[in-house]
Amino acid sequence: MASNATTYNNLTPAQPLDKKTLNKMVWRSLNLQASFNYERMQAAGWLYCILPGLEKIHADNEEDLKISMAHNLEFFNTHPFLVTFVMGIVLSLEQQKADINTIRAVRVAAMGPLGGIGDAIFWFTLVPITAGITANMAINGSLAGPILFLVIFNAVQFAVRFWLMNWSYKLGSKAIELLTANAKEFTRAASMLGVFIVGALTSNYGGTTIALTIENGESPIVIQSILDGVLPKIIPLGITLGLYFLIKKKGWTPVACIGLLLVVGLLGALVGIF
Amino acid sequence: MQFSAIQIILVAVWAFIVAIDQFDLLESLYQPIVTGAVIGAILGDLQTGLIVGGTYQLMTIGNMPVGGAQPPNAVIGGIMATVFAISSNLDTTAAVGLAVPFALIGQYMVTLLFTVMSPIMSTADKMADKADTKGIVRLNYLAMAALGLLFAVVCVAGLIGGSALGETLSKMSEDYAWIMNGLSAAGGMMRFVGFAILLRIMLSNDLWGIYFAGFTLATIIGYIPDLAGSALILIAFVGIAIALNDFQTRVAIKQNAGSATGGDEDGI
Repeated sequence: MASNATTYNNLTPAQPLDKKTLNKMVWRSLNLQASFNYERMQAAGWLYCILPGLEKIHADNEEDLKISMAHNLEFFNTHPFLVTFVMGIVLSLEQQKADINTIRAVRVAAMGPLGGIGDAIFWFTLVPITAGITANMAINGSLAGPILFLVIFNAVQFAVRFWLMNWSYKLGSKAIELLTANAKEFTRAASMLGVFIVGALTSNYGGTTIALTIENGESPIVIQSILDGVLPKIIPLGITLGLYFLIKKKGWTPVACIGLLLVVGLLGALVGIF
Repeated sequence: MQFSAIQIILVAVWAFIVAIDQFDLLESLYQPIVTGAVIGAILGDLQTGLIVGGTYQLMTIGNMPVGGAQPPNAVIGGIMATVFAISSNLDTTAAVGLAVPFALIGQYMVTLLFTVMSPIMSTADKMADKADTKGIVRLNYLAMAALGLLFAVVCVAGLIGGSALGETLSKMSEDYAWIMNGLSAAGGMMRFVGFAILLRIMLSNDLWGIYFAGFTLATIIGYIPDLAGSALILIAFVGIAIALNDFQTRVAIKQNAGSATGGDEDGI
C-alpha cells in the first residue's frame, strides 16, 4: 500500500498555491463532514477538501499524489468551522514536500485542540447570543429574526474560514524554512507530539463504558466502577491496543475490525453489557 | 389538515437540504429559527412558523426550560414541530413533544449511515491507490445525498402519517432499542480502529512511553469537569513542551558532534 512510504518521490518543492486554489478549498471546507463515519470520522471529507491543492502540488508525479491521498485518508476529526487552519498548515507542508511522518504528525497535533476552541466560540457563544436575540424577534412575528440570524452567523463563519486558511498557509510556509536545516530532528519531535495527542485522544474520545452490574442485595456491584478503580478509561485503552495488535501483528484489515466491533456491540447490547 | 402534493414535495426538499446542513453546507439553515419560518411559509402559515421556530430555538440553546423530552435531532424536531403546530393548532411545547418520535427515527438514520459509511472507507483507500480524485468527490456527494434522502423520507412519512404514525414509531423504537444501542456502542468503538491505524504507522517502539503519557494526562484532565472544553489545548501545550525539548536537545547534540574537534572536551 502507498501509505507505507515515508518520503515523496519528487522532493522539489511545488509552486506555492495561488489564492484562487486556496479559496476554492475554503468553499470545499464547508462539506468537511460529508462522509462522516464512526471509524475515521471526517477523513474522506478532509481529503475532499484539500484535493484541489494536492492535485496541483503533486501534478507532476502521480505516485506522489497516491501517497498523499492515502495518508490523508487516515483518522481525522477537528472543528468544522476551524478546519481551514489545519488545511493551510498541512498544505504548506505538502507543497514543501516535507517528510510524510512530519505531515501526519502535524495534522494530528493540530486537529485535536481546535475542537474545544471552536465549540466555545461558535456553539457556546455565537449561537446563543445571536439566536437569543433573533428568536425573540421571530416570536414577535418578524421575518427579520431568521434572516438576521443567518446573516450574522454566516458572516462570522466565512470570515473565520477565509482568514484562517490564508494565515495558516503563510505561517506554515515561513515555519518550514526555519526547520529544513534540522528536518530529521523535526520529524522526530513532530512524531512525539503526534503520538502524545493520539494517546490523549484515546482517553478523550473514548466513551465506551460497560453497564453490567452484579446483583448483591442492597448494594449491586457496578463493574464499570471497579474498572475505574483499576485504571480509568481502561476499556478505550484496551480496545485500541487490542486492535493495534490485530492490525499490526495479525494483519487484520480495518473492515475486519469494524465487523468484529459490530458483532461485539450488537451481542453486548442484547445481553446488556452496553 | 390535508397537505397538497406541492407542499409535501417542498417540505421533502427542505428536509433534504437541512439534513445535509446539520453537518455541512452553512451549518445554520437547520436551526429551528430558520426551519420554522421556511416550513411555516410552505404550509401557508408563516406567523405560526416564526413563533414555533423562535420558541423551539430558545429551548435548544437552553434559554427556555423544556417541558418533557427534547427531540434528539433538532433538524426533524424543528420541521415536525412546525408541521404539528400548524396542522393540529397546538402550542409549541405540545408540538415539540409530538415531534420526538420522528426526531428519534432521524437520529437512528444518522447512526445507521455513520455505521455503514465506516467500511466504505476501505473503498476510499482503493480510490487513493488509483489516484481516483473524482471517486473521492463522488463518494462524499453520495453520502450527503443519502443522508438528505433518509431525512426527507422520515418527514414525508410524518406529514402523511401524522401523530398516529408517531405513536407507532415510538412503540417500534422501544422494541428495537437494543439494536440501536448495539449500533451506537459499536459506533463508539470504531474510532479506536482509526487510532490503531494511526498508531501502526506513527508508533515506533521508543515512543510507547509518550503514548501512555498522553493517555494519562488526558484521563486526569478528564476528571475535571470545568476543563472539558479546554482539555486538548492544555494537553497540546504539554506535548509541545516535550517535543520542543527533544528537538532542541537533538539539534544541540548534532551541532556539538559536528564542531567537536577534540580540544573542547577538556572543559567537561
